Amino acid sequence: MEEQTPALSRTMQEGFMTCILDIGEMLLKNGAEIMRVEDTLFRLCKSCGFSSAEVFSIPSCIILTARAPGGATITQTRRVRARGTDLDLVSRANDLSRKVCACPPPLEEFQAEVKALKNKKSYTPKQQLFIYCLISASFSVFFGGNALDALASAISGAVLYMAVSLGGLIRLNSILMNAFSSALTAFAVIILCAFLPGASHDKIIIGNIMLLIPGLALTTSLRDIINGDTISGLAGFCEAVIKALAIAAGSAVVLYGLGGYSI
Amino acid sequence: MIQLYYETAAACIGSLGFAMLFNLRGRRLLWCAFGGGMSWAVYIFCMLIMGAGLYTSLFFASAAVVALAEILARRIKTPVTVLMVPMIIPLIPGGTLYYAMSYLLESRYELFAREARSLTLQVFAIALGIIITTSLSRAVFTVIYRLKEK
Repeated sequence: MEEQTPALSRTMQEGFMTCILDIGEMLLKNGAEIMRVEDTLFRLCKSCGFSSAEVFSIPSCIILTARAPGGATITQTRRVRARGTDLDLVSRANDLSRKVCACPPPLEEFQAEVKALKNKKSYTPKQQLFIYCLISASFSVFFGGNALDALASAISGAVLYMAVSLGGLIRLNSILMNAFSSALTAFAVIILCAFLPGASHDKIIIGNIMLLIPGLALTTSLRDIINGDTISGLAGFCEAVIKALAIAAGSAVVLYGLGGYSI
Repeated sequence: MIQLYYETAAACIGSLGFAMLFNLRGRRLLWCAFGGGMSWAVYIFCMLIMGAGLYTSLFFASAAVVALAEILARRIKTPVTVLMVPMIIPLIPGGTLYYAMSYLLESRYELFAREARSLTLQVFAIALGIIITTSLSRAVFTVIYRLKEK
């Protein structure tokens, strides 16, 4: 690329940088480690014709400064807000960046590929509902529940899915969302237990709690700490702990306060 | 004994579910299910056959999962995180978290302290397993790549 057109225009360079940051944002948002994000962006900048690049990233922000061969420097910052988990997107973004590094495409092609990554397929709501039920049931068995507990847990898992989708619709922040959905699930469990005398509510609700527990945030934050990104690791770890507390608080309030259960 | 088979099967399906929840598809789903089952199998093996304690077993289980993920990731050209996260889910102490909370609310402080301590140590054991194996595998693969270049 750079051999054919040695001096890219400023707008071209900015266009490349926006694409590169799009990839970085996708990685960061969906559960990649900080080191992977920084490393990927650095390589992408190098292969897209910049002579040097500095990347700094924390879980909520990416700052990218690159120097073009002509001497001009460009900086772009990307604030990352909503975070989710889509490991498939992480892996695709990773594949794309490998491809771009091996053979840098022209800008239009690059933009098209990034766009194609953004609107890729994911599981339909019905399939997701099924996944929630499946996970709830299997973890209720895993923690010592019987078949009845698994069935009840699948039903309250469906309630949890509805709570999470509802929370997404009204754009609840993630901590409140955890508290709210675990509270609603606990409420469903109380009702279920009233109808199913043989079921043990703790086994049912643990199956649901496993769905909310920030396992990804925990492992990613630990990996960040090992990689030397202590600030990001601690931020992620804190977030995981706070989310776990929110989940515990949400279900506790309902089970203890409303249900009158000795939990 | 039969309970252990159920638990391992449930760990498999649970990991599979999480892999799907995180939007994975195809062959990687099967690997994640296998890894999830393996994590629990290693844990049970350490506990029952080696006679190790809870925390030691968790340490070896998470170390085994990370090793599997690191090797597999290089084989099928996927980021390590993508494989590791669903595989390690069965080890995460959701049950202990729940019981700690419930004892706190019931004002059974002695039991709460026991569960909370166990929770912290379990997370610590898993973390240590991840940390040590990640660092070791990085070193091992660096050596392997160097040797191959020669």
